[in-house]
Amino acid sequence: MPTEAALSIQGLFKSYGRVPALRGLDLEVKQGEILGFLGPNGAGKTTTIRCLLDLIRPDGGTIRVLGLDPQAQPVAVKARCGYLPGELALQDNTTVEGLLRYLSRLRGGRVDWTYVRELAGRLELDLKRPLKNLSKGNKQKVGVVQALMHRPELLLLDEPTAGLDPLMQQEVLKLLREARSNGATVFFSSHIISEVEEVAERVGIIRQGRLVEMAQVAALVHRALRRVTVRFRETVDAGALAGLPGVTVLSAEPAGVTLQVQGEMDGLIKALAAWPVVDMETVRPSLEEVFLAYYQGGPASGEVR
Amino acid sequence: MGTEFRYTLNRFRGQILGWGLSIAALGLFLVPFYDVFAEQKEGLLQLLESYPKGLMAFFGDMTEFFSPAGYLDTYLSYLPVIVGIFAVLGGSGLLAGDEESGRLDLVLAQPVGRTALFFGRLAAFVLTTVGIMAISWFGFSVTLGSTALEMTWGQMALPFITLLAQMLLYGMLALALSLVLPSRRLAASAAGLVLVASYFLSSLSRINKDLRVVAQLLPHDYYQGGKAVAGLNLTWLFGLLAASAVLALLAWVLFLRRDIRVSGEGGWRLPGR
Repeated sequence: MPTEAALSIQGLFKSYGRVPALRGLDLEVKQGEILGFLGPNGAGKTTTIRCLLDLIRPDGGTIRVLGLDPQAQPVAVKARCGYLPGELALQDNTTVEGLLRYLSRLRGGRVDWTYVRELAGRLELDLKRPLKNLSKGNKQKVGVVQALMHRPELLLLDEPTAGLDPLMQQEVLKLLREARSNGATVFFSSHIISEVEEVAERVGIIRQGRLVEMAQVAALVHRALRRVTVRFRETVDAGALAGLPGVTVLSAEPAGVTLQVQGEMDGLIKALAAWPVVDMETVRPSLEEVFLAYYQGGPASGEVR
Repeated sequence: MGTEFRYTLNRFRGQILGWGLSIAALGLFLVPFYDVFAEQKEGLLQLLESYPKGLMAFFGDMTEFFSPAGYLDTYLSYLPVIVGIFAVLGGSGLLAGDEESGRLDLVLAQPVGRTALFFGRLAAFVLTTVGIMAISWFGFSVTLGSTALEMTWGQMALPFITLLAQMLLYGMLALALSLVLPSRRLAASAAGLVLVASYFLSSLSRINKDLRVVAQLLPHDYYQGGKAVAGLNLTWLFGLLAASAVLALLAWVLFLRRDIRVSGEGGWRLPGR
C-alpha cells in the first residue's frame, strides 16, 4: 500500500478581497482512497479544489498534489489529474466529441477513444450531439467523461453528480469506485451526504474555511450520538438512567423513556437489565445528521467534537 | 499552444470572412467609382467650396479628394472606427470571454500552461486581423487595373498595413483592460471609448489646434490611411506595433498572476498573488 499522500494541504489561506474563504485549511488524502469533502455553500470546497490546480493562487500555506507543487509545476500536476468544475460551462459551437477531442489534444492526444466511447455508453451520452442541445444533466455527463477519459491518477471532482438523475448518479459513483480499484485517488466535494456515505472511505467536513472533521465515515457515524427508545412492561423510575455516563434523558413517560447516548452502550444495557423491558429501539444517525450537527449548534469554533 | 491557436482561429473564422468580405465589398464599390468622381471633378470642386470651412477641415483637405491617395483616404480614414469594433470585441473577449462564462476553468485544468494558452490565442487574434486586412486589401485591389487610380497592388497594401497596426493596438488595449477591469463588457466599452475619442479628437484637432496636444497622445493621429500609398511612415508604424507589443506583454503578465474567475465573479481589486 503506498504511503505518500496523493494530496497534502497545510495551513492554506485564501481570501477574495476582504472575504476570507480558507483560514488555515489542513487536509491530507491518501493514495488510492476516495475522500468525500462536505460543506455547505461558501464553506471553501470549490476554492480548495481550484487552488489544487493553480486556477487560483492561495495567500498562504503549502499544497502538494502527487508530490508536486501546483504553482511551480502546474502543467505536470494537471497532466496527472482529472477535474470536474462545480459550475461546468462548455462551448456550444461544437459536438460532444468535438469538445472531447479538443480537450484530448490539449492533453497531447493521449486519450484512449475506446475508453471514451465506453464511458459515454455507460452514461448514455451521445457523442455526436451538439453541446448547445444538451440538458444540464447531459452536460454534466460530458464533464464526468472528460475528467475520467485519460485515466488520471487523481480525480478532483466538484459535485460530480449534480444535475444527474438517480440512475446516473449511481453509475457515476460506480465509475469512481472502479477508478479507485484501478489505483486512482478520488477527492470529491458534495452536498449529497448519502452519496458520500455510500462511496467514500473517509470524509472531511469543512466549515468557514477550516477542516472541522476528518474521519472514516463509519467511525464518524459510530462515534456520534444515538437515540435510544425503551418501553417497559410497568412504570419505572427512568430518572436513575440519567446518572449513567454518556446518557441523557430526552423524555420520560411512566412506561417508557427516550435517551441520547454517546459512546458505548454497555452501561445502559446493564442498567436496563434490572427492569422489565418490552422493546428497545436504537437509531444510529446518518452521516447527514452528523454533518448537520456541525452546522446546527455544532462547535462554533470549528473544534472537532 | 498549437491546439489553442487552431481552436481560437477556428472560432474567429466567421469574423475573418464577415469583416473581410464586408470591407472587400466596400473596396469593390469604391475603387471603380473613382473614375466617376474624376470625371465630375470641376462640378464637385465648386460644390465643395460652398461648404463651411470648418466642416471641410474636419474631413481634411477635400481638394485632395480627386487625387488617388486623397480619394482613398476619404473613405479609409474612418475604417479604424469600424473595424476597431472587431478589434475591441475580439481583444476584450480573447480570455475574459471564456473566463466570464466559466469555460476557461475547464481549459486551464488541462495540462496547458497559461503562457502557452495566452500566446496561442494571441497569435490567432493577430492572424485573424491579418486575414481581415488581407481580404479587404484584395477587394480594394482586384479592380485597380480597370480604373484611373493608377495604383499598384503593392501600393494598395500600404493603407491596410497602417490599419492593421491600429487594429492590433486597439485589440491589445482591450485585452489588457479585460484583465484589469471587472468585466469584459467594461473593458470593451473603455477601449471603444478610446477608439472613438481618438478618431474625433484627431479630426477636430485640424480645426482647433489646441486639441493637438491631446490628439497626439491617441492612436488615430498616427494613422496614415489612404495617404500611405505614397509611402509608409515607418516611425509611426513601428511605434504603434511597439505600443501593441508592450500592451500584449502587460496583458501576459497580468494573466500569469491572475486568479481565474468562475462564472459571475468580478471585482475592482487588481489581480495579484
